[in-house]
Amino acid sequence: MKKLFTVMAIVLLASMLLSACGGGAAPAASGGAPDCTKAFCIGDVTDVGHVDDKSFNQSTWEGVQKAKTDGVADWVQYIETADSKDYAKNIDTFAQAGYKIIVTTGFNLTDPTYAAAKKYPNTMFIGVDQFLSKDKDHPDWPLPNLVGLVYNEDQSGFLVGALASMMSKSHSIGGVFGTDAVPPVWRYGEGYRAGAAYEDKKNGTTTTVTNVYHSDVGFDKTFLDPPWGATTAQSMIDKGADVIFGGGGATGNGAVDKAAADKVLAIGVDTDQYYTLPEADAYLLTSAMKPIPGPLADLIKLAKSGKFPNTGLYYGTSGYAPYHDTAKLVPANVDAEMQALLKGLSDGSIKTGVPPVKPQ
Amino acid sequence: MQKSEEQGFAKTLGQIRDAMLVPLLAIVTAIILGGLTIWAAGGDPIAAYKGLIQGAFGSANSISETAIWATPYIFAGLAVAFGFKGGLFNIGAEGQISLGAVVAALIGYALPGWLHMSIPAFIHIPLAVGLGMLAGAIWGGIPGALKAYTGGHEVINTIMMNYIALNLTSFLLNGPMRDPNPLNLSARTPEIALSARIPPLFNIPGMRVHWGFIFALLIAVLIWWILWKTTLGFEIRTVGANPDAAKYAGINVKRTIVITMAISGALAGLAGAIEVTALNYRHELGFSTGYGFDAIAIALLGKNNPYGVILAAFLFGAMRNGGTRMQFLTQIPADIISVIQALILLFVAADAIIRFIYRIRARQEQVVLTRGWGG
Repeated sequence: MKKLFTVMAIVLLASMLLSACGGGAAPAASGGAPDCTKAFCIGDVTDVGHVDDKSFNQSTWEGVQKAKTDGVADWVQYIETADSKDYAKNIDTFAQAGYKIIVTTGFNLTDPTYAAAKKYPNTMFIGVDQFLSKDKDHPDWPLPNLVGLVYNEDQSGFLVGALASMMSKSHSIGGVFGTDAVPPVWRYGEGYRAGAAYEDKKNGTTTTVTNVYHSDVGFDKTFLDPPWGATTAQSMIDKGADVIFGGGGATGNGAVDKAAADKVLAIGVDTDQYYTLPEADAYLLTSAMKPIPGPLADLIKLAKSGKFPNTGLYYGTSGYAPYHDTAKLVPANVDAEMQALLKGLSDGSIKTGVPPVKPQ
Repeated sequence: MQKSEEQGFAKTLGQIRDAMLVPLLAIVTAIILGGLTIWAAGGDPIAAYKGLIQGAFGSANSISETAIWATPYIFAGLAVAFGFKGGLFNIGAEGQISLGAVVAALIGYALPGWLHMSIPAFIHIPLAVGLGMLAGAIWGGIPGALKAYTGGHEVINTIMMNYIALNLTSFLLNGPMRDPNPLNLSARTPEIALSARIPPLFNIPGMRVHWGFIFALLIAVLIWWILWKTTLGFEIRTVGANPDAAKYAGINVKRTIVITMAISGALAGLAGAIEVTALNYRHELGFSTGYGFDAIAIALLGKNNPYGVILAAFLFGAMRNGGTRMQFLTQIPADIISVIQALILLFVAADAIIRFIYRIRARQEQVVLTRGWGG
């Protein structure tokens, strides 16, 4: 037995050393959760992955946290999903604890969120990037307690397309995308084309737009193929393109990085990629934005004040990111035109002409 | 195996105690170390484990969810354990699960259309599950045959077969078998017909535990029976213990290897087929990733014994299921579960550490004696 204690003592000591090294890294345990049947609590169920994924899970959690710092929510909490069969269980965990709003992240949670909204009619659900319509799988849509936060990606694409066309010296621009079977991706791409055409018409130029969608591989690969993004961008650059729009997860990032490495202007997607692709900063012109935190926090505010939209969908604002390091390259008249376009798109005086889904 | 009944019973009890001692101590030690890790990272281990247990067993519903998690683990754990018994290391469970799920889903949604008729459930369910199992058996049998007739090592070949299976699945779910609903953005099949769905055990809304779980337990008994009560099982175990001796004793070693791998693959195929027909009602890419690898840990922790596999599968299922509540209550990332599982595996695989810490004498010889040649 003596030996046993010695060994246990060593183990204890080792782990204390460990604590000295790793202390403070993890989030503090969250005692102090209020009684959510009374307080205004918001729960966030992530898609499979982590809340700090530099992508949708992270942006959504930032939006939920913003609701707390804005004083809208008393308490916010997330559950990271480890396996897709846990979606329903994770939503249940919040609903049964009395959470008032449950936010779910990404289109994979569309059906579980719809089912949960029917099961818990007194809980409000926000599905980030979840586009629904009335069909045989969702006969009761729109539900009064379920709103999908969606975006007009064609408008963001339109803006960066217009900018690319005005900035291009060779009048040849390219776009490298994930599969066009995903409607938001297709809307980015066609918006990009439409924006370039709009400026061409206005300025009397002719810009060649080369859009390539990575539709030749499966859904599991199409957004995760940086080498393909890089080689595709390379071949566009070789043919004279001098602005490259990378739209589609890691695949698009590969294109953006490649363009920047070749000292060609690049355009990011979804968030301001100045912060997520630092290697490309010097040549990152802008990013086609689909900002989640702001619109999500607005939507939460509406929900709390009893003005939750009953149309089933809520459109987040579209836009483009600041030029950052490339600001000195953008002439004042181009910048003025961009601001006019943004205004025109948001008040409806300019239309992109891109339908919501690809015509079959 | 000639021994009197009472003596045998006492011996069995002793054997069980001996067999379970090291795994139990491994689990306890891993949980203590896991707790220390949580504490070192600034969390409260007691609250975390309380949440874990609550999440896994706190209510009828959470027990039901634990059983749901345990079901594929039992099948896949049995698959790996069965291979080990025959001296074969089946790392291909992941691919076999995936193909079992694909075939079960295909039969589940497409067969009524092919036949232009609705199929009664008592035919449709066995057909979907059975063909899923067959797909797994073929996928396991191929590396078995390669091993038996060409000497190609099953570890390499099952890994290679994994790549083929997973990419084939990816192709099918993105292409020919993809759910045609225009709003569908995922790589998944359509939902299977109602007649192909294994019903839940209880008619309570929200309680998802299904007959597939009972089926898994029955299959575990069946595997125990095959291994220890049939000639085939004796041959498999003999080949596993010493192929040369088996050959000398007149056992057809090549045939036995192929059969072992095919049954192992069939069990893994069942894991996938049951998940599709009883729980998800469709196959989706990303589902079940890692079950085939967790299964190796489960087989080792269960000491390759079917009943041990059930217990180990329950433990792993409980931890995976309870992780949600633990995270909800304490915000400790569920990844800590993987740490604990890895520690358990480490201690089971390198049991000398556990024997050293707790001063247990190795009694391996005795176990081997009673297993093989009757003491």
